[in-house]
Amino acid sequence: MKTFSDTARTVTAGGIAAILLSFAVPQMVQAHDDARIGPHVHRTIESNRKKITVRGERYIPTIWVDPDGCQHWVMDDGAEGYMTPNVNRHGIPICNRGDACGVMNTDQLFASDSFAIHARGRRTLTDFFRSAKASAFVIVGHTDSRASDGYNMRLSYNRAKAVAAIGQATGARVVDIRGYGERVPKASNATAQGRKENRRVEILCIR
Amino acid sequence: MKVIKTTACVLAAVLVAGCDGTGLGLDNRGDKTVDRGLDSKDLSQLQAGIWIDPNGCDHWIIDDGFEGYLSQRLDEYGKPVCSGSAPPGYAIGNFKSGSPIEDAI
Repeated sequence: MKTFSDTARTVTAGGIAAILLSFAVPQMVQAHDDARIGPHVHRTIESNRKKITVRGERYIPTIWVDPDGCQHWVMDDGAEGYMTPNVNRHGIPICNRGDACGVMNTDQLFASDSFAIHARGRRTLTDFFRSAKASAFVIVGHTDSRASDGYNMRLSYNRAKAVAAIGQATGARVVDIRGYGERVPKASNATAQGRKENRRVEILCIR
Repeated sequence: MKVIKTTACVLAAVLVAGCDGTGLGLDNRGDKTVDRGLDSKDLSQLQAGIWIDPNGCDHWIIDDGFEGYLSQRLDEYGKPVCSGSAPPGYAIGNFKSGSPIEDAI
C-alpha cells in the first residue's frame, strides 16, 4: 500500500515536471519505487534523436526568507543542510522588499542630457543621505529609451556617479555605482508618463 | 564489565545514528523541509548572520545545531551585495542562536 502511495506521489511530481519540461523537448516519464533508493524517476528525453535516462531522487525544498525579504530554497537531509537563493531564470532574486529605498526622478536633479545636479537637487539628496538608515548604499542610474543605447549607458552611469558624489560628501558609504541606460525600464517607453518614470536614479539601501 | 560494554554499544549506536541520521527518527528521506531531531522546527524559522567572502561580498550564514547553511545575499538586480560590514573572512550577527543545541565546532 505504501509503495502504491509513494509511486502515486512520484508520478504526480513527475507529471508536473513533465508538463514544465514539455515546452522544451518531448519526453517520457517513468516513476517507480526501488527498495535501495526509494521512490525516483526515470526520464527519457528525446532531443536530436538522443535518449537520456535520468535517475533521480525526490528533493523538495521549502522557502526561507532572509532579513532583506528575499527567498532561498532550503533543504534538511538529516545531517546535512542545503541552501541557495531563489532566483528567476534571469538571475533576479524573488523578494518582497518593496521599492528601492530612494528613487529620484532625474528631471528633478538634472537638465536634459546633463549630469550636473541643480542646487535644489543637491539639497534634496544631502537631506536624503543624512536621514537614511543604512550602513551602505548602491547607486543605480537609468534613462528612457530616447537616444542611442550607448549614449544612455554613459549618461545613466555619469548621473549615478554625480548622485554618489553627493552621498559620499555627507559621509555615506557608497559600495557600488552602476548605469543600466535604457535596459531596465520600470514603465512603458511608449508614453510620456512612462518615459518620465524610467528617467531615474535608484538608491539601494543596505542595512 | 557486561554493563559497561552494553552501555558503550548503545552510546556508539546513538552516535552513529546521529551521524547518518537514519536512527532516532532523524531520517529526513520523506520531508526535507523540516529540521528533525531534538531541536525540531520548520526551516523557515532559521536565524541568519552575515559571512563576508574573500571578495568582500555578503552571504547569509546559519548555524542550526547539526546543519549549517550558506546562501548568497543578492540585490534587486541579482548582483552580489558587498556591504563592507566586516572584513573579508569574518562572520557577524547572531547566526548561532537558531538552535539550543551547542555545537563543538
